[in-house]
Amino acid sequence: MKESYKLAGDDELVKASLNGDKLAFGEIVNRYRRMVARTVKGMLGDSVYAEDIGQEVFVNLYNALSGFRGEAKLSTYIQRIAVNLTLNEIKRRKRFFSMFSYKGDNEIREYEIADPENEERREAKEIVNKALMSLNPKFRIIVAMRLLQGYSTKETAEILDLPVGTVLSRLSRAQNQLKEKLGKL
Amino acid sequence: MKPSEIKKLIIGSMDEKTDPGEIARLLDDQGVSYDFRKGFAEKVTDRLFGAALTLSRDVEFTKNLNYVLYRIAITGVAAIVVLMLSIFFIQDSFSFNSFLGLGDSYDESIVYLLTGN
Repeated sequence: MKESYKLAGDDELVKASLNGDKLAFGEIVNRYRRMVARTVKGMLGDSVYAEDIGQEVFVNLYNALSGFRGEAKLSTYIQRIAVNLTLNEIKRRKRFFSMFSYKGDNEIREYEIADPENEERREAKEIVNKALMSLNPKFRIIVAMRLLQGYSTKETAEILDLPVGTVLSRLSRAQNQLKEKLGKL
Repeated sequence: MKPSEIKKLIIGSMDEKTDPGEIARLLDDQGVSYDFRKGFAEKVTDRLFGAALTLSRDVEFTKNLNYVLYRIAITGVAAIVVLMLSIFFIQDSFSFNSFLGLGDSYDESIVYLLTGN
């Protein structure tokens, strides 16, 4: 068992994790936590639920590691889990809130202390969050993949298991919606 | 970056010709970054390997129980051996009657004891 896996490749980390090496799996979590956070928090907002879903992503990953054949990159594998869990959470929440005919914002946001020095940065993040939240989830996920993860159309199509044409058409429709919505922000 | 520039960047990012990687980096520089709270990795590994810890505690308990039962069994066997030796020295025999404490009794007295006649 190694003391540090900082320089280890993904394959080595997966093998060690499968042998129950806590440090190796901890390194996977640290390596991909920001990537998962961009997807989960970009889709759900900076909410307490997002933290739980983030944990679920890695718990599911650990349980599914034995099925990881290495055909796709580990990052793609994790990203797929993150997308599926996030979309499931959105569906679950939609059902829950529709039971109470609640039309308001269903995000539980964390309390943030205002920092004048970072006002501009906070504002930038708020604009991006509002833009994403204004979109339907099927458009939101595509925009989040592109805007926050920096994935190309092809990569987005691969992760979401959609044809490239569908991704392109959704991007175009999302762009039209955002032109209208961002004007109002 | 001004809010209007951020909005322009968001809308422009959806053009096929733009480099999404570059846009994501630019936004990250502007503070549009996401991460989980401190201690996130520890929480995840504790959730996963905490279960293994519970399992190892169960195994540890079973091992301890086996050890205790083994000691009791050894003590029991030793007690039986001491008892058998004492019976042998007292009654000069290892017969079944000696074990029942009937080694010195006659058949008639047993019948008397059982029936009262």
